[in-house]
Amino acid sequence: MNIYNILVAFDSSKPSFEAVEYTARMIRSIPDVLVTLLFIERLPDKDLFESEALWRAECAELVVEYKRKLAKARGLLLSNNIHKKAINEEYIISCSSPFEDAKVCTTGESIAQDILAIQEEGNHGTVVIGRRGISKEEEFLFGSVSAELLRKFTKCALWVVSSNCD
Amino acid sequence: MEKSAYDILKHYMPTFPRKHAGKIITNTTEFMSIDYGDVMYLDGKHYLVNKNLSERRFGLEDPKYWVKRCKELETGKHQIIKLEFYEKFDISIGTIRSSCYRSPRKESRILKLVDGDMRFMQGKTVLDEKGNCVRILDIIYGSELDVALDHLPVSHEEYFNTIFPDYFAKFIGAVKAIAHLHLNHEQHGDIRRDHLLIESDTKNWRWIDFDYAFGLRENPFALDLFGLGSILLLLVGQREITAQQIGTLEQSQTEAVTAEDMALAMPYRLANIQKRYPYIPDTLNNICMHFSAKNSVFYSSVTEFVSALLTCFHELPVFKSARRRYPEV
Repeated sequence: MNIYNILVAFDSSKPSFEAVEYTARMIRSIPDVLVTLLFIERLPDKDLFESEALWRAECAELVVEYKRKLAKARGLLLSNNIHKKAINEEYIISCSSPFEDAKVCTTGESIAQDILAIQEEGNHGTVVIGRRGISKEEEFLFGSVSAELLRKFTKCALWVVSSNCD
Repeated sequence: MEKSAYDILKHYMPTFPRKHAGKIITNTTEFMSIDYGDVMYLDGKHYLVNKNLSERRFGLEDPKYWVKRCKELETGKHQIIKLEFYEKFDISIGTIRSSCYRSPRKESRILKLVDGDMRFMQGKTVLDEKGNCVRILDIIYGSELDVALDHLPVSHEEYFNTIFPDYFAKFIGAVKAIAHLHLNHEQHGDIRRDHLLIESDTKNWRWIDFDYAFGLRENPFALDLFGLGSILLLLVGQREITAQQIGTLEQSQTEAVTAEDMALAMPYRLANIQKRYPYIPDTLNNICMHFSAKNSVFYSSVTEFVSALLTCFHELPVFKSARRRYPEV
């Protein structure tokens, strides 16, 4: 594992932007660093819509928004003097995507497991994730990616960035 | 196609009063206007509408106009017919609010998945002439789990030693049924004590109502697990044990109960059942405590939960005779 081969799990939320910024500030003076922005696409369940057309329209809007925010996260790294050659992007599409087929896709059932798989495959020695700061009740009822990662990650460093980390 | 239902009713039910005969319905979109005496013609069969079903919650009758109790005229069989209805509403679990969606398509898919699996309600989906997704369900004659528990005229200790072991074995089967859904990338979505029926003649425990769906979740199966945990607490305690009930006990009858003994997300409800009934074995109480406010490590999957239940079932003396009766567990 290379600890300077960093995987930032980015989901377009405010905490994940903070995780990107934190990473940029931590590594900007380190040479030979490689940052991969990992986006795991999550599309709403088709079950929630009355028609296929409504669902596709919502998915299309979301994908545009996700890609716009991913570009913004890349911009954040660049503005912190991370060289463009040191920045990778990995966009894992949803297995239920109505737009694309891919050999590798995410079912959305365990984002933590998806991150783990990409980390192992990419030999990333450091994983960074933002934390939403949810209550214990919310974690219990809906799950938490960062809590799941803390349970499952044993082979590399995990940075869990809370909101307002200065 | 006949315009009046009377012609078809006269053939199959000659005594049906003419004044109550309604319309023949082939398009179920306007389900609010489909009522007693109407006949729905679906997939080549006629269904006389007897009534709208309703749900009893907090002592109130809440009519569900999209769910009709019907009689299939060709066979005389009574069935429940759920018509296509989408809605979004908020639900509260303790202090947490969440958006929930009603999805006919989800229920149809699960009905297909569990076809022939008697751990679940059975039924089929047909499309009406407008392509609405109509689910025709077999009626399960039996009691809801909480009603069955309420009717047991025994003390908790007697219940725990005589009836509970069998119920626990049945519960493990019901939890495995939910694990089967999850393995097939489906969630039940509305696991509640009144959605688990004990069928009168077979004594099978059967899940009903699969049409709730939720938005994006970090763990899409966590809510199902929460529901299963709530049912476990009900089973182990024989009924819901509230803080108020504990407060009425003499101090000598129970150890002091703290906030950490209560259920997470339902702080009025006791999760540490051993505090009320000290003979509950630790291994079993520890599983209950996974759903308490004290806990910070949750079961990550129903499979993990099943594994803990099985350990109890195979190890605890209270289940010794049930192990012989339920070798399949």
